[in-house]
Amino acid sequence: MNNAVVLLSESGSVIDRLQGLGDAKKQLADPDYWSSVGIIALTGILVVFLILAILIFVFWLMGTIFKAIDKSKSAKAEAKKNTEAAAAKPVVSSVEAEPAVGEDYTDDEEIVAVISAAIAAYTEQSFTIKSIRKHDSRARSAWSTAGISENTRPF
Amino acid sequence: MEIFTDTLNGLIDTSGFIGLGWQNAIMILLSFVLFYLAIVKQYEPLLMLPIAFGMLLTNLPLTGLYHPELWDPATNPYFAPEYVENGANILVNFTKETSLDYGRVLHDGGLLDLLYLGVKLQIYPPLIFLGIGAMTDFGPLIANPKSFLLGAAAQGGIFFTFLGACLLNMTGIADFTLKEAASIAIIGGADGPTAIYLTSKLAPQLLGSIAVAAYSYMALVPVIQPPIMRLLTTEKERSVRMGQLREVSKLEKVVFPIAVTVIVSLVVPSAAPLVGILMFGNLMKESGVCDRLVKTATNELMNIITIFLGITVGATAVAENFLSWKTIFIIVLGLVAFCVGTACGVLLGKLMYLISGKKINPLIGSAGVSAVPMAARVSQKEGQKTDPSNFLLMHAMGPNVAGVIGSAVAAGVLLSILGSPV
Repeated sequence: MNNAVVLLSESGSVIDRLQGLGDAKKQLADPDYWSSVGIIALTGILVVFLILAILIFVFWLMGTIFKAIDKSKSAKAEAKKNTEAAAAKPVVSSVEAEPAVGEDYTDDEEIVAVISAAIAAYTEQSFTIKSIRKHDSRARSAWSTAGISENTRPF
Repeated sequence: MEIFTDTLNGLIDTSGFIGLGWQNAIMILLSFVLFYLAIVKQYEPLLMLPIAFGMLLTNLPLTGLYHPELWDPATNPYFAPEYVENGANILVNFTKETSLDYGRVLHDGGLLDLLYLGVKLQIYPPLIFLGIGAMTDFGPLIANPKSFLLGAAAQGGIFFTFLGACLLNMTGIADFTLKEAASIAIIGGADGPTAIYLTSKLAPQLLGSIAVAAYSYMALVPVIQPPIMRLLTTEKERSVRMGQLREVSKLEKVVFPIAVTVIVSLVVPSAAPLVGILMFGNLMKESGVCDRLVKTATNELMNIITIFLGITVGATAVAENFLSWKTIFIIVLGLVAFCVGTACGVLLGKLMYLISGKKINPLIGSAGVSAVPMAARVSQKEGQKTDPSNFLLMHAMGPNVAGVIGSAVAAGVLLSILGSPV
């Protein structure tokens, strides 16, 4: 780290000389040529990293602050939702649902209720749910693929 | 009858055929090749086509659209050494750069000379950045600030190529000044406007070839990058799935451009015209209150500037500048810059993969070379080849947009070290 600092300050003092070198072509015999070239390249990459490191720090800081704010906000929102959900539950679960052979979610009443309500609203016909299984998480469903392509279309 | 033949002779004398040398003919054929690349191969056609047409126009003799001599300070009568020697001491303090006689350009210039003022005075590249800023979503970068590192690493190609160009100098193969070496190296930033910005300041004589090389390689990103990415990573590394990015609030997105502008401009003031205007465009977008301005910046303004920029950059490709070994070296070194930049990004990605406990897919590192959004798409595609349901695009957009900032900063650094003293 110390080396880098020394180098940066050194390069500051040689900047005038380097600017004189800008148009020079045949400085090859000059050992200064190579030290200058080296210094330009090194300061270049160091300064790029330095600035982006500063930015990382700033936005990491900003991110943690905002995450903390979000958390307290979402905690409040969650509490609100819970009370609302409790009120809504009986209505949803009144839709006929066929408890089916046990796979992952088929036992979860809440999910059965939500899915059967969704199908009922969509088909408006009688239907039977035989099972509700979680899809292999490695593969993406048509819906999530569509969602992703919708979100990433601008790129 | 005599009058008729005289008129005919006169017409022939003023026609272009008289002034058509073999160099012009070669340049015109080259412009046809670029037409092919733009129209059939669709290599960045929005820029390649205007560049090719500018090249065609400038090499058709006697059209008077573009006068390279107006842009060469050495031909400025007020800077001729004898003039200075003859006691015009006031001008001794003028550097070559400032002795460009803009009055002469306005007086004698053709259409393309006048439009070229926008390149020479560094107006177009920042305005293009305004539009890019207004189109870019920095969300993925804000959500994962570590991406900045990958954007910085991929700039390694620039500095490596700078050393390479100087090495070619040492072996006597090429004959580059340091300014020319820096301008060639910036091709590795994979960012057209940045390359044009730096080159027009440091080595305007190379502008045509550098712009053509930069835009060609940007178009070739999907061909150049994948082999390097596959070579440097294992299948296991490529199949890493990265967690969902956190949601970024509007306030963060508004703070981001302001903070970046302040920090970058304070540390590297010479990068401010690019980064500052890029961030201005982004703030207009994220603030959500300047919809009309955003529409103009991303559509009409950007399109107009793209036309001006392309055709004038093409016009600088006059035979004397373009038909030299330097162009060949630029094309080779530009490719080196791209490859090394990609490799640096992937290698830092590998390092971050190890440090993060195998949570970061090294493939997103290659997106750090900017070339938005092509490079990010390449990361996505390569990731899907290993695991079809892996979705890296948003993760790769982070390094990708960081690369834009990174290459602008790199250009600013090179400019502040090598640029003419003000």
